[in-house]
Amino acid sequence: MVVKQMQYVIIGASAAGMAAAEAIRKLDSENSITVLSKEQDMPYFRPMIPFMITGKKKFSEMMLIGQGPYQGANINVRLNSTMEAVHTTDQTVSIKSGEELSYDKLLIATGSRPHIPPIAGIEAEGVFALRTLSDARAMALRAERTKHAVMLGGGLLNLKTAFALLERGLEVTLIIQSPEVLSQLMEPNDATLIRNALIRAGLRVMTGCSASRILSDANGVNGVFLDDGREVVCQMVCIGKGGRPNVDFLSQSGIRVDQGVVVDRFTACNALNVFAAGDVAVTFNSTTGERIVTGLWTNAVEMGHCAGRNMASQPTEYNGTLGILNATQVADVPFVSMGIVHTSGTDYETHVAAAPKAYRKLVFTPDGAKLVGALFVGDISRAGLYRYLIRESRTVKGIKSSIIKKQLHYGHILKETI
Amino acid sequence: MSKPKEIFVRLDRCVGCHTCNIACAVEHSKSKNLFEAISEQPTPKNRVYVEWVPPEHKVPVLCRHCEDAPCMHACISGAISRTKEGVVITNSDKCIGCWTCVMVCPYGVIGRHMETRKAYRCDRCPDLQAPACVDACPTQALVYRTADAFSGDVRQDAAREMISGEGR
Repeated sequence: MVVKQMQYVIIGASAAGMAAAEAIRKLDSENSITVLSKEQDMPYFRPMIPFMITGKKKFSEMMLIGQGPYQGANINVRLNSTMEAVHTTDQTVSIKSGEELSYDKLLIATGSRPHIPPIAGIEAEGVFALRTLSDARAMALRAERTKHAVMLGGGLLNLKTAFALLERGLEVTLIIQSPEVLSQLMEPNDATLIRNALIRAGLRVMTGCSASRILSDANGVNGVFLDDGREVVCQMVCIGKGGRPNVDFLSQSGIRVDQGVVVDRFTACNALNVFAAGDVAVTFNSTTGERIVTGLWTNAVEMGHCAGRNMASQPTEYNGTLGILNATQVADVPFVSMGIVHTSGTDYETHVAAAPKAYRKLVFTPDGAKLVGALFVGDISRAGLYRYLIRESRTVKGIKSSIIKKQLHYGHILKETI
Repeated sequence: MSKPKEIFVRLDRCVGCHTCNIACAVEHSKSKNLFEAISEQPTPKNRVYVEWVPPEHKVPVLCRHCEDAPCMHACISGAISRTKEGVVITNSDKCIGCWTCVMVCPYGVIGRHMETRKAYRCDRCPDLQAPACVDACPTQALVYRTADAFSGDVRQDAAREMISGEGR
């Protein structure tokens, strides 16, 4: 008797999709795994694309398969495959090329795309929203004939891109509507050290204003007109205004979408044998229970991993994530932001300590019993211990003063446990 | 297949002398010699830490090379992988210093080389028979055994204690 092979189909070949593929392969060495990617490049570490702009890393150094936990064993990745639709009744997907594929288990891991605000003239050549390696390549090309680049939005992606452009010798101006950079990850007063580092690094920062029109001529963009009447001459504009889940192809599928794809605690959609993970999925905040859509590599991998196990019939509950879970280094200043860190006007118990080279903020529940958020700027050592406490939602009891003083170490946690 | 050896900590034996710290840093220096290591740049770093919990607990902490290593999955540049011996390693060439691993490690044992902007952690001393910290520990608070052998020891010790207790 010939047993028909089961078909795992994964839409999207980035963090969530590839983590799921690996997780499935670990549990199921037999059946077929097909990963469909609309991109032209083999899977890569998306957070590394700014290195394509600086030229510091080659594509081969950003490739995913063969690195870290990614073996790629018998995982069939098909490039240039843009999704047309999902048909849940006959369990097939159709690709824009006209081809149809049937699935036994399907994962939607299509990620997100940059949000493009409705600014007049935004379609001009030289306006970018960095998301893919192709975007980065195009940007690198444009950078060759750019003297001054304007970044719209002060989020992490734009900061990283700004540094890549600075490194190439461009002048870079950051235009931010909020009063301070990184407003999603910290409050204005928390960002002083980072702001200073940006200035020291040579970045120009303009806050409290936004672009009302993008100006261009035959050579593409040549300036930005601001809402306060000022005009900035530039040859490149980069938009960093967050992302939107890629769900358009699901409109006729009957799969429930509310901003992103809605899943249950086992990463399953409302349609049978369909799962979702990563930036495209609506997940929930493990501290507050609130529904969130995140755009983080780390979260996407974790959720993809979980979805893969569920697809391979190993029921695994997804525990949600922290809405904020970011670590990076801006110029010479490292920082970590986790959990609830926006506390103005709330009754969270907040402890702040500011020193010339380090800043920290520790946020507890209003009754002071549990740690719910931590922000470290300058000194981020042992940040993972604080993440653990936030994530586990543990009562902090005897170790609270060590937390507030940022002297926590594993010995404390061990002692609390035993 | 025999399971690889791991570094186990016997908390009751640690006297907090920090000999392991020094042995570790020296093994991870260029010269592998204490006197030269002290003046090396960048400063050689230890990857085993001895924490103190008042009033008298000393807790050596080092990378557990977790089975489902959060750092490896969280790494955004593919720098962290597992060797066939089960050791979770950070490839310095690939590390981009984003510190995501530091953010997710629940043991707080991933260090940062500020000079080179690279993360580092215990690599179980691949060039040595037994890791330098284990070799140096004067009280055998650190031991290098397979998990099976170690838990066997623990069982035997417990049994011995029970028997001697009964005999009294």
